[in-house]
Amino acid sequence: MKILIIEDEVELLHNVQEFLEQESYLIESATNYDAAVEKVLSYQYDCVLLDIMLPGGNGLDILRVLKKEKKDQPVLILSAKDSVEDKVLGLEIGADDYLAKPFHLSELLARVKSIIRRHMHHGNPVISYKDVTLNPDLRQVQIGDRDITLNRKEYDILYYLMLRPNKLMEKTTIAETVWGDNIDQADNLDFIYSQIKNLKRKLKEAGAQIDIQAVYGVGYKLI
Amino acid sequence: MDVSVKNYTNRYIIITILVVMAIWALLFYAVLMDEVYDNVDDGLKNQKIEIIREAYINSDILNNTREFGINQFRILPGNADDFTDRNHFTNELIYMPYDDEDEPYRVLRTGFYSKEGNPYLLEIRTSTVEQDDFLINLAISLTVLYMVIILSILVVNQLILTRAWLPFTRILSNLSNYRFGDVSSFQLVETKVKEFNELNSQISLMIQRNESVFNEQKRFLENASHELQTPLAITINKLDLLLQDDKLLEQQLVKIAEAKQSLHRMVGLNKSLLMLSRIDNHQYKEIENVNFNELTKELLRDVEDYVSFREVKFNLIEEAIFNTSCNPDLARILISNLLRNAIKHNTNPGVIDIQISSNRLDICNPSTSGALNPQYIFERFHKGYQDSQSNGLGLSIVKSIVETYPNLEIAYRFENNFHVFSLIRS
Repeated sequence: MKILIIEDEVELLHNVQEFLEQESYLIESATNYDAAVEKVLSYQYDCVLLDIMLPGGNGLDILRVLKKEKKDQPVLILSAKDSVEDKVLGLEIGADDYLAKPFHLSELLARVKSIIRRHMHHGNPVISYKDVTLNPDLRQVQIGDRDITLNRKEYDILYYLMLRPNKLMEKTTIAETVWGDNIDQADNLDFIYSQIKNLKRKLKEAGAQIDIQAVYGVGYKLI
Repeated sequence: MDVSVKNYTNRYIIITILVVMAIWALLFYAVLMDEVYDNVDDGLKNQKIEIIREAYINSDILNNTREFGINQFRILPGNADDFTDRNHFTNELIYMPYDDEDEPYRVLRTGFYSKEGNPYLLEIRTSTVEQDDFLINLAISLTVLYMVIILSILVVNQLILTRAWLPFTRILSNLSNYRFGDVSSFQLVETKVKEFNELNSQISLMIQRNESVFNEQKRFLENASHELQTPLAITINKLDLLLQDDKLLEQQLVKIAEAKQSLHRMVGLNKSLLMLSRIDNHQYKEIENVNFNELTKELLRDVEDYVSFREVKFNLIEEAIFNTSCNPDLARILISNLLRNAIKHNTNPGVIDIQISSNRLDICNPSTSGALNPQYIFERFHKGYQDSQSNGLGLSIVKSIVETYPNLEIAYRFENNFHVFSLIRS
């Protein structure tokens, strides 16, 4: 899987690059408008991470160039400008998703994976780990070959954990991605615990080989 | 008490005219009396000459005018020792049958020698002005004059000054129409009066200066928030990467997670500030008819888990549909901020009563700390008690949103130990 990061902020670029490389993606980068245009037109990527404010031009113009050249590249916009107009405009011109800075790297990964999955024309879109298979299109979870029923929140939590097994997911990230921005950062996040507890119980009852491990005070890990 | 500028000048005019007229009246009286006595005295002196002349021709009158007759003079035999031919005038009160009272007379006493050389005393009298009556009449007519003058000054002043100050009152009412952030909401008033033109231009200069300072600050806030995003993103992501390190101990992970959480609070603050400036800049332009009942129910579903964890119960009473035209995102932020406050500052276990009627949405929750001060709660960074975690911007965002729509209004009241926030549509 090849990902192009178009980002002029070098530190941020390095962060994302390091993180995605850990997730075994091949990373290429462009730090200005011209280099970015050249790359998106010359090569095909599985996902392009696009910063809107670039030296030498606007990221949205890159989207316009792609549209004009009828080149289909999956694009995720990363913008410091969390404005509704930009978001709407970006999605209208042909971006697949929009993520406002600052973001959790695990959130970024979830978005990237879902974009790549949507653009996959063949192959299996399911996510599996050990004996658990999760089908994001059908929102279906199977243990072995048996379906288990999860409520919306439980499914979302499992989905995020399944994207990165064996990696720590913070409570804050889970709360934000599953419950949305309505959950205040400052709020007590212990209420997540009851959902996790139910999820663990259901997995155990179904005899799944996976389990959710708590890292106290920080978050959870799928093992 | 404040006085209108019209009455302000009137006060001084009334007093000044009163003083001037009093002084003038005294002088006038003195001069007039002087002139009257002068005339009367001239008449008396003339009469004296005629009587003395007559006495030379006809000495009979020396003896048969011992008493005042119709001629109003008498001649008495004089005394050589204290004889004087100087004219001596006095004012005397003498009974006058016509008026049946004593009336002022002017009396001339002098001495003369008859043809024979005998000294005689001559007294001539004539009725003169009644000083007190004259004084009273003068006072009355002056009072009338004074009042007429004052009344006409008041009337003329009222008419002229009202006209003259008309531009001023217009400027005032235009000023009250002026809304901060909208330069065109203050309209200049056309006038030919130099002072008002100066006032006009100074006001619009002042408005422009204030607006530009305000805009600068707004831009500063916006830019500062934007510029903060990138370093925050970098730091948070670095911590993200660090958290993936399996070699770290749990204690270390907790510290990193805590650091990240603090940074997220800063992100939240930053977002709120940006949102405030966007709302104030009217960047949420899209408008549609928002059904607040549906919106509230949707938001209640979103916070369901959290609320049941906090052991807070919702009572939703829908009397009617509350809907109004506004930006759907802002409506969502508005209700969600109010709900979040009601949850956060609730008792444990607690309750939230939501009552929706056609033009009113009330959100009530029991208080843990008494009434809030309605003067400050909507201010930025105002924090109540037990509130170390909030950024103090939730309610000011609510207020900014409501102020964007002239038909909406937010009110707070404290009732039966409940905080009640009401969104009112007028």
